[in-house]
Amino acid sequence: MLLNELIKQASMTIALVVGMMASAQAILPIEKLDSFKGAQAYLVQTKALPMIDIEISIDAGDRYDPAVKSGLATVAGRLMNYGARSERGLLSEAQIADEIADLGANLGVSVGGERAIMRIRTLSRKDLRDRAVQLASAMLSAPTYDAKILAREKQRMTTALQEAQTKPESVLDRRFRKSVYGNYPLANSPTVQSIANIGATDLQQFHKQFYRGDRMIVSIVGDVTKTEAVEIVQGLLQRVPQSGSPIAKLPEFERSPVEPFSQREVIIPFDSQQAHIAMGMTAVTRSNPDYFPLLVGNYVLGGGGFVSRLMSEVREKRGLAYSVSSYFAPGKDAGIFQAGLQTKSDQAALALDVMSSTISQFIANGPTPSELDAAKANLVNGYPLRIDNNRKLLDNVSSIAWNNLPLDTMEVWTKQVEAVTLEQVKAAFQRNLAMDRMKIVVLGAKNK
Amino acid sequence: MRSTLLRFSFYFILCCPSAWAATDVGQANTHEFQLSNGLKLIVREDHRAPTVAHMVWYRAGSMDEVNGKTGVAHVLEHMMFKGTNKVKSGEFSRLVAAVGGRENAFTSRDYTAYFQQVEKSKLDEVMKLEADRMSNLNFDDAEFLKEIQVVMEERRLRTEDNPSSLLNESLMATAYMSSPYRHPVVGWMNDLMNMKAVDARDWYRSWYKPNNATVVIAGDVDPKAILKAVEKYYGVASARELPDRKPQIEPVQKGIKRVQVKAPADNAQLAMAWKVPKLQPGKLDDDEPYALELLAAVLDGYDNARLNRTLVKQERVVNDVGVGYDMISRGPELFLISTSMAKGKTVEQAESSIRKALKEVGDKGILESELKRIKVRILSDQIYKRDSIFGQAMEIGSTEMAGFSWRDIDVMLEKMQTITPAQVQAVAKKYLVDEGLTVAVLDPQARQSGENKQGDNRAAK
Repeated sequence: MLLNELIKQASMTIALVVGMMASAQAILPIEKLDSFKGAQAYLVQTKALPMIDIEISIDAGDRYDPAVKSGLATVAGRLMNYGARSERGLLSEAQIADEIADLGANLGVSVGGERAIMRIRTLSRKDLRDRAVQLASAMLSAPTYDAKILAREKQRMTTALQEAQTKPESVLDRRFRKSVYGNYPLANSPTVQSIANIGATDLQQFHKQFYRGDRMIVSIVGDVTKTEAVEIVQGLLQRVPQSGSPIAKLPEFERSPVEPFSQREVIIPFDSQQAHIAMGMTAVTRSNPDYFPLLVGNYVLGGGGFVSRLMSEVREKRGLAYSVSSYFAPGKDAGIFQAGLQTKSDQAALALDVMSSTISQFIANGPTPSELDAAKANLVNGYPLRIDNNRKLLDNVSSIAWNNLPLDTMEVWTKQVEAVTLEQVKAAFQRNLAMDRMKIVVLGAKNK
Repeated sequence: MRSTLLRFSFYFILCCPSAWAATDVGQANTHEFQLSNGLKLIVREDHRAPTVAHMVWYRAGSMDEVNGKTGVAHVLEHMMFKGTNKVKSGEFSRLVAAVGGRENAFTSRDYTAYFQQVEKSKLDEVMKLEADRMSNLNFDDAEFLKEIQVVMEERRLRTEDNPSSLLNESLMATAYMSSPYRHPVVGWMNDLMNMKAVDARDWYRSWYKPNNATVVIAGDVDPKAILKAVEKYYGVASARELPDRKPQIEPVQKGIKRVQVKAPADNAQLAMAWKVPKLQPGKLDDDEPYALELLAAVLDGYDNARLNRTLVKQERVVNDVGVGYDMISRGPELFLISTSMAKGKTVEQAESSIRKALKEVGDKGILESELKRIKVRILSDQIYKRDSIFGQAMEIGSTEMAGFSWRDIDVMLEKMQTITPAQVQAVAKKYLVDEGLTVAVLDPQARQSGENKQGDNRAAK
């Protein structure tokens, strides 16, 4: 068996490293690698396990979808698995899937609002690693976008979309995005028609336009030296073009506008046992100076799991919902602030009232001193849990790179949390949120 | 969120922690102790980062419930956060949060488990809290009345408004006549509506005893120091005789069963479940359960596996397909295939395609290369799974709860590598037959939606 020996070696490696690492609690440094093909690249070396995690962030997210072809970025990303031209010739979808399985690797592409992300997990042994990198390189640079496969996948997406339209959470989410994003492309969700409008040529063009070195960031965490990491980056991007034609500027991302109170609320009748409620607005970027005050404040409001105010008011005191929470989703763009819950349909009005007044009071008054202390204690004491394995480190490195944050972000994170004051939290919430700017979507409510 | 009703599947065995060929190291780094009050302690050392996962597992899940009181194991799980003699309601979570901890709990058919993850210097503090609520839980009736509402909301969210869950619930209730596996872990709504605080208290008094508990601690810890702390905090609880567990053996099924569920959805769904054997503790040499696990993976273990390749990609009869089999558990096992229909295809077409694919395995067997591919995946996952400390604790705990030792994990993985294509073919032929088959169909119903009326739904038919 190919891997038996490797695993025995791995076990020995662990035994050796254990002793050395026991006392080392310093946060591992992020090394910046030389730019290649215009792409940035970063490395964190962790030697304890013979594996490597790689993430390639591509500035090719859903926000670039033309309205009439909503879903284009997602389809372009998803179909990269389903056929590519490698240096050795054409690879079918079956060959790609079999090769990934034979290597014992994981390799896939996901697409979000801002970025497409290719993730690779491989064993670090050179021959296995090289083959995984070669495969990823082919997918990244030359997906085939076969028309037959596209037709099949469009059909699957359409079926899934129609199914989603029967689910309360999906209908709520689509409507909420539409309400809060205004003119920004993320207001649109894929429809049967927009998926039907996507052709193989659109995929080719989208890929050519957006999948290029100057729009990529490679993050690597695991058992590699700096030299090997450079080889990986070069292997991944060797056939990717460095740049391409200019890309049209996205519409301005605006703060949710002030609107008359009567238009804030969207009511959707829906035949479900529970009403689903979402409330929110566009908020801040990750690099906004208010980020840390908002992070700490939101822990108190609705981010702190069982100890948040929303949880206490809605669930613990009144038994109105199983889950209720609020969050900020900052990125390169000003992401949204959103709060939501699900409750028995005949108590929707009460639950919305409790949620609204809890948020409203928090914006007006901020946290109490003891709440602020508790939030900081949790975030600071819990920081090691945010970076205690390769996968989590990769998420951190990738996010730091994507959002252009300083490379010492992980080292100073707890200090920045500790420095947050009551006044800063209050000011940040009042600066970035306002009840009369928040949209509310209520689905499935019934009067008693 | 609190209580995820985890159901461990084949994937868990594959994707989460343990240590095969780590035989030497995994075993050397894992330590087992038993306290005089019967509590079992298992410590897995992993010093890569200064964090710890602390879990307590009680061998009491929905399979220990009786009719009329279904869901009580899960309800008690919720009540465990509602106060002890010293720690008032809600305070448990606040204290764990203060030390930066993450915490939650979950109930399954076989067990109920509670966990905290913390920076290593905070372990004592959360252990003290967890040990306190093993013996001193003391919630009042008002807390119960609020929390049972929360549990009903949980059921509405996860099941009542979720057609796939409704289908699964009916499938289980039809496949099993007598085994308590026929009840949903969250409980039937009517039982929840009639549940009383005293039911939860009785459950707690019956099952939450050190001699029914296993503490699993994984991470950057010293086993000797851990043992001392565990003795200090958990050692004070006294053992008590546990209620008699009736066998409740499922009678042998004698023919195909079919059930239909009407629920709001756009596509029909089909689930087929066969009664199959499981691995028995102390009989790790039985080939069949391993062969069934590998069969599940050959059918659905990677992107080009048989069912995805033929049903989704070639025949385009279903939109997606999933295969599940749990090799270890306390109760009886099912080999499960679930699909949702592709547009314009019927459940009859899907069932026929599935039967054809299974018949092919039965008649012609599988390729050596297919099996080898699955075995490579199992091996590489042995390394990947060590990336998660929490995952390692999960695997140890769930294995122990099924009646096996954590030491068996390596043996099982080694045994898995010895299975031949002929053995996989044999179990397909022997067990995936109509005598033990239950078929459940979701018949989609139009749902009243304002979105449709407003013409906003361009995705509608």
